[in-house]
Parts: sequence; structure tokens; C-alpha cells
Amino acid sequence: MTKSTTGAARRERVTIERTYGDVSLEEVWDMWTTKDGIESWWGPDGFAVTVRTLDPRPGGTLEYAMTAVEPAQIQFLAKAGMPVTHSVRATYTEVTPPRRLAFTQIADFVPGVEPYEVATTVELHAAAQGVRLVLTIDRMHDAHWTEMAVKGWESELGKLAKVLAA
Amino acid sequence: MQPDVFEVLADPMRRRIVDALRGGERPVGDIVDRVDIHQSGVSRHLRILQEAGFVTMRPDGQRRLYSLRPGPFRELDAWVERYRNLWESRLDNLGAALERRRIARGTGSKETP
Repeated sequence: MTKSTTGAARRERVTIERTYGDVSLEEVWDMWTTKDGIESWWGPDGFAVTVRTLDPRPGGTLEYAMTAVEPAQIQFLAKAGMPVTHSVRATYTEVTPPRRLAFTQIADFVPGVEPYEVATTVELHAAAQGVRLVLTIDRMHDAHWTEMAVKGWESELGKLAKVLAA
Repeated sequence: MQPDVFEVLADPMRRRIVDALRGGERPVGDIVDRVDIHQSGVSRHLRILQEAGFVTMRPDGQRRLYSLRPGPFRELDAWVERYRNLWESRLDNLGAALERRRIARGTGSKETP
């Protein structure tokens, strides 16, 4: 598997690429659009995902429960006064098998930041040895982030924080 | 982090003022020269930046010297990184899940006998 991240270079959004070897486009597509597929990898470390609703067509939704399953995550949530299970919903905006999938989610997990919409696009490309996946996280729906992101400001923040901390 | 931290930096003029302060502490007059808008506008933006914690001011005789503070920048940067990290880790998990399936199917990679 090869990796690359080009958040700084692609100025208006965060892009992450992966190449998965010895798989077909259809196999990777199924991982994104079937209950079994999604549940097998979607949860962040320490969390299990249970898909409740899955309707992969434009306007359809994906609803899933994210449950902490490891002691560290369970303790963390308990300390923060948050439930062990958290419901998440995404709305599909584009479904073009087996190449392109786009959905929006409301991000409401950032402490002190009001909920805002995040658009995620997944593109699958046939590669010589498998499938190249390009994931784009787009905050264009949020006016504040849009203005900052378009100016390439985001990539500057890290550098600036380091300079100031020095 | 307050929501208005995002809004504060969304303004292009305030970003120019922040840029002007990257080299270090400066009096208002210097900032006005660099960003090329009227002093009253600069003062207003500096006040907003100061209230949001991006900028601090100290008097020096007749002059007011402005400089940047790291706090809000660090918070914004940490947020961006966290979101990226979530997906990096998820896509690694996807790779592992694809690998498990391939092994289960027995059509394995070269490492699998």
C-alpha cells in the first residue's frame, strides 16, 4: 500500500490518496457501499460500527452507530460525559459505481465549534497493481472555512504556530 | 475554541494584518503601510484580532506595538490535523480489511502460500 497526503498542495481541500494492491474496483466499491463492507473497516481504532440504514443513491442516507469497544475509548467517553454509542448520519450526493461516491456529513464532534457540513468524495481509479483511491474532504459548505481554505490559509497555520511557539 | 475564531480569520484584510505581523512586533503605522488600508480600518481589525486572542498589544511611550500570539493558531492547526488523521487511519483500516478478504478467499497475494 502506498500513501500520500497533499493537503498543503491542494489548497482548497484536504486530499488523501491510497493505492490498494491486488483488488478490483468492484471489491473496493463494495467496501464503501455494503453493510458488511462498511462495518469491516469504517470505525476508527477502538470503535465498532453498526450500519442501521443504507441507501446508496443521491439523496439516500447512511446511518450507523459508532460504539466504543476498547477500554481506553470507553473510559475517555465516560470521562467526557459522552455516551458509549454515537449515531452518525451521512447523505449521499453522488453514487456512480464503481468509481465515484460523494456524501455529506454534519460534523458535530469538535468541542466548542458549532456543527458544520463536510463533503467527502471518494474516487476509485484502476491502477497497474490494483486500485488507487483518492479521498477529498471538503469544507466548502462552511462559509468561514471556505474563505480561509481558498486562500491556502490552512496550510500556513501549522507553520505559523511553530514559528510562534519557537 | 470559540466559533468566532474561524470567522475572525475568514476576513482577507485580517489575514493580511496577521501576515504583516509575522516578522514580529510592529506599531500600527507600520501595519497600515503594509496592508494599504486606512488606519481606522486597521485599528478596527486589530481590535477584533485582539479580542479573539490572535494579537496582543503593549504600549511603548506614544506608540502601541502589536504582535501575534500562538494560541488560536495552534488550536486551528490541531483541528485540521485531527480530521485528516481520522481518515488516514480509516483508510489504513480499509487496506487491512481488503487484505483479510483476499486471504479468506484464498486468491492471496504473493506472500500467501
